[in-house]
Amino acid sequence: MRRSYVSNNIKLNEFDALIRITVEMSKYLYPYIREILKSKEDIEENSVIWNDFNKRFIELIKERFNIDSMRVKKLLNQAENDEIIIKSLLILSFCISNQGYQKLKNFLYDF
Amino acid sequence: MQNKLSFHQSSVSLEIIGLPDYSNNENKDQISIISQWKLNIIDKPLIEGKIEHLGPIMNAFYIYSNLLIKNEIPLFESKLIDIKADNLHIHNIVLKSSKPDVKPLVLKIGNSLLSDTINCFDQLNESPKVRIKKTNITSNIPKKLRFGLNKKVKLFNFFIPPFIAICSLIAFSYSIIYFNNPFENIEKKELISPE
Repeated sequence: MRRSYVSNNIKLNEFDALIRITVEMSKYLYPYIREILKSKEDIEENSVIWNDFNKRFIELIKERFNIDSMRVKKLLNQAENDEIIIKSLLILSFCISNQGYQKLKNFLYDF
Repeated sequence: MQNKLSFHQSSVSLEIIGLPDYSNNENKDQISIISQWKLNIIDKPLIEGKIEHLGPIMNAFYIYSNLLIKNEIPLFESKLIDIKADNLHIHNIVLKSSKPDVKPLVLKIGNSLLSDTINCFDQLNESPKVRIKKTNITSNIPKKLRFGLNKKVKLFNFFIPPFIAICSLIAFSYSIIYFNNPFENIEKKELISPE
């Protein structure tokens, strides 16, 4: 999915390290994640936060991902990407505890 | 004198009240015998109960959050609590009282409050100062969801490919017979060379 000419398979220790970094970042960013989730609950009142986040998310996807891929196109489609974004944010928000590393790993294996 | 411990996460706080188990040589600030707990969600009615209700309610939230993420049907039903999704952002919680003539308490919470609640429960689980009896999670899953947790989709995927293969084989056979009927050819041959 990434815009890269080299297709290296990720090693297990690199996968573990990425999960640990993601969990630590989620702990730090929890207030922001929460606000984004909340903004979608009452979209008429807080549409600015959600729209800003969605706009930046799409910008980053276009910048770093292979936009010819069908899966990436699905991420860019604003009508379809809501569910994917909400579920991804929910997973991150559920994994901010000390056991977050194990929880995120389990979520990813079951996804 | 009872001990009181609080766990906070943004708009949700969980309070645990109880005593240490002195027979087990525990510290005086430990809680092993929980007498009461209170879950306070801002702008929502206070939820409180006895120790026997805490485990099932925590399990209900954990199971529901897993179902929500794993694309299963987001629905949890039990004697004590029902949780179902109104939509992707709002969750409907029905808390049923064990006392007769008490109406169930209905709460609607969003994803932000759901994650706050889960994080409060995580803090409680990880706290070294509180010891709660672990209840068997699978026993609290309603029967109709058990099948869902046993990878309903995988079972469906297991049967669909052979089914499609058999159907396509039958369709191909019929189409070939339609264009080239062997019985018709035999009849034609017989008509050309009648012996």
